[in-house]
Amino acid sequence: MKEISKKVKEIASRLLSEGQVDVFLAWEKGNQDYLTRPLVVRSAEEAERIVFDEYSIHNLSNYLLKFRDGNEKVGLVVKGCDSRGVIRLLEDNQFSRDRLYIVGVCCPGMKDPLKAIKRNSGLLQNIPDDDKADKCSNCAYPNPLIYDELLGSEQEPNVKGERQAKIQEIENMSPDERYEFFRENFERCIRCYACRQACVACNCRVCIFDEMRPQWVGRENNETDNMMYHLVRAYHMAGRCVECGECERVCPVDIPLMLINSKLAKDANEFFGPYEAGIKYEEGSKPALSVYRLDDPDEGFM
Amino acid sequence: MKILSKDKVERVLDKLAESAEVFVPLSRANSSGFYSWKTRNPEKEQLMLETLNVYLSPKNVGFPQTEKMYSIIQSGTEAQIKETFEDSSPRIIFGLRACDARAIRCLDDVFLTRGYEDSFYKARRDNMVLIGQACYEPGPNCFCQAMGVDPLEPEVDIVIRDCGDKGYIWETKTPKGEELTTSISNLLEEKELKAPEAKAFQTQVDYEGVAEKLKGMFEHPIWEDLSSNCQNCGICTYVCPSCHCFDIQVKSWGEEGYRFRCWDSCMYGEYTAEAGGGNPRPTTKERFRNRFLHKLEFFSERYGYPLCTGCGRCIVACPTGINIVNIINEVKEASVDV
Ligand code: SF4
Ligand code: SF4
Ligand code: SF4
Ligand code: SF4
Ligand code: SF4
Repeated sequence: MKEISKKVKEIASRLLSEGQVDVFLAWEKGNQDYLTRPLVVRSAEEAERIVFDEYSIHNLSNYLLKFRDGNEKVGLVVKGCDSRGVIRLLEDNQFSRDRLYIVGVCCPGMKDPLKAIKRNSGLLQNIPDDDKADKCSNCAYPNPLIYDELLGSEQEPNVKGERQAKIQEIENMSPDERYEFFRENFERCIRCYACRQACVACNCRVCIFDEMRPQWVGRENNETDNMMYHLVRAYHMAGRCVECGECERVCPVDIPLMLINSKLAKDANEFFGPYEAGIKYEEGSKPALSVYRLDDPDEGFM
Repeated sequence: MKILSKDKVERVLDKLAESAEVFVPLSRANSSGFYSWKTRNPEKEQLMLETLNVYLSPKNVGFPQTEKMYSIIQSGTEAQIKETFEDSSPRIIFGLRACDARAIRCLDDVFLTRGYEDSFYKARRDNMVLIGQACYEPGPNCFCQAMGVDPLEPEVDIVIRDCGDKGYIWETKTPKGEELTTSISNLLEEKELKAPEAKAFQTQVDYEGVAEKLKGMFEHPIWEDLSSNCQNCGICTYVCPSCHCFDIQVKSWGEEGYRFRCWDSCMYGEYTAEAGGGNPRPTTKERFRNRFLHKLEFFSERYGYPLCTGCGRCIVACPTGINIVNIINEVKEASVDV
């Protein structure tokens, strides 16, 4: 990783000094060994701060949304999962390919700084010793699927199947049990919307949850409104979620959002597939469920 | 002095819970917060008096995330208030730390002073008793002392001091506290214990002069830089014990409805959205700047002390590693051209 870190720094500094990009998105080190955090770099000088290490977990494709309205050229580093986020944005017409310079890194699996800081905080109990990110043991695409330059050697997918087993378990529940399972989980939601903010697929300019006229989803923190929030979020993710795991990672109260997201991906594949979101970018390609056609075989969409 | 032995803590809580809702630090589903003692599931949840603090602060007790205010009924073009839901049932917060007690003082100042009393907050607050725990071992992200809070003297009605196996020293500070102490005096013992030595803070920061300096830094380029990796997720404001912004909204059906208030966050775009479509805080930079100026400058100007109590929660919770201690340091170091 030291080698990769060095190369990223070199690339960033080259791109910035040659004027090939105006901004470069990477990571830097925070106050602790485990605190790696996103960094927005604007000059070759600043590029000195860049690191890439085992805690570089954040999906930087989400940060592209900060730049979507400008003309700046943006360079960024993506792991396998993040690269699917870039494809999401391209398919959603939120960015044009020629404004991007993508440095792909074949990812050996990441650690989560939030786990480490929480374990050491004195505010929480029973946080496991291992900082390995949950999403990385469900990773089908560790190698970037879109890039201009690729670093590191190709990695094997790492799908342990625990999440799929859990999904199976929930599918096998009775409707009442299933309702209870989700009620119990959503009850804890504090409706901070961090899951939305961290999500690259949540790229609507005005989010339905912020709309006031009419207000589609109530803002009370109770069973009904929480349920409604999660249902709507789930519907909006079907066929669009690229399974980067950021929503679940950032959730302050540990709601198992990836169970929902992966179930949606599974259904999208079974009903409208073969389909997986954001695994191949072709000019003009569209995610499942995002095309409007007058001859749609399903009347419901007319 | 009065002592609460450790094996009697649960009995005291049971006793107190007979006449009030008692909020205690509990672990709950991979998280932790102040929850009602009565709702504890003893198989899954532990009382967290011996760890440092809990992840979700006790601000919910006096200022719930969602609070029904009043119901309305419409007749013709008039609307009438049917019922007002001021809730003055007795509540006790047990085991809160000095940082969170200070945060309650912030809320008191905001909701009860300077010419307007918020009746909903007042109803809850009047019947609330605070039992605080002194901190002898600050955690890695604690910096309360730097923000003017004494971790050994929480601003509460009763202070407990953990003396290890021997129990807690129980110190009554106010008449409200006296009353509560009397109600459980048969569960307390009379003996002498020595409080432990306070350990040093691991996080140091110098807040001196920061509020003053920030006055001239509204347009400083530092905000662009510091906010560049913030995702405006709002977690920091929701875990913060002293952030207190709220929105008032309505739910209605047919001729009936009710108004409620719910937490809001200056980190959200919608927070400053104007009816005409404009937004004075269009990007992350302005929202981020507002949060930190409110914490470190505006509140100080109005009330004489900062709105950050140094609890360190936002440092732990921020998914992108933003750290208010670093921000204070950066502000200190920033050069301001006059
Ligand atoms: S829903 Fe979650 S996993 Fe899916 S793209 Fe958004 S942040 Fe990533
Ligand atoms: S991040 Fe978690 S708590 Fe916040 S809105 Fe999403 S699910 Fe709820
Ligand atoms: S910030 Fe101070 S009062 Fe709060 S938990 Fe830490 S040491 Fe205790
Ligand atoms: S700003 Fe952060 S450290 Fe300060 S009181 Fe709020 S959560 Fe605690
Ligand atoms: S928690 Fe961090 S990323 Fe989220 S709004 Fe606060 S400072 Fe920004």
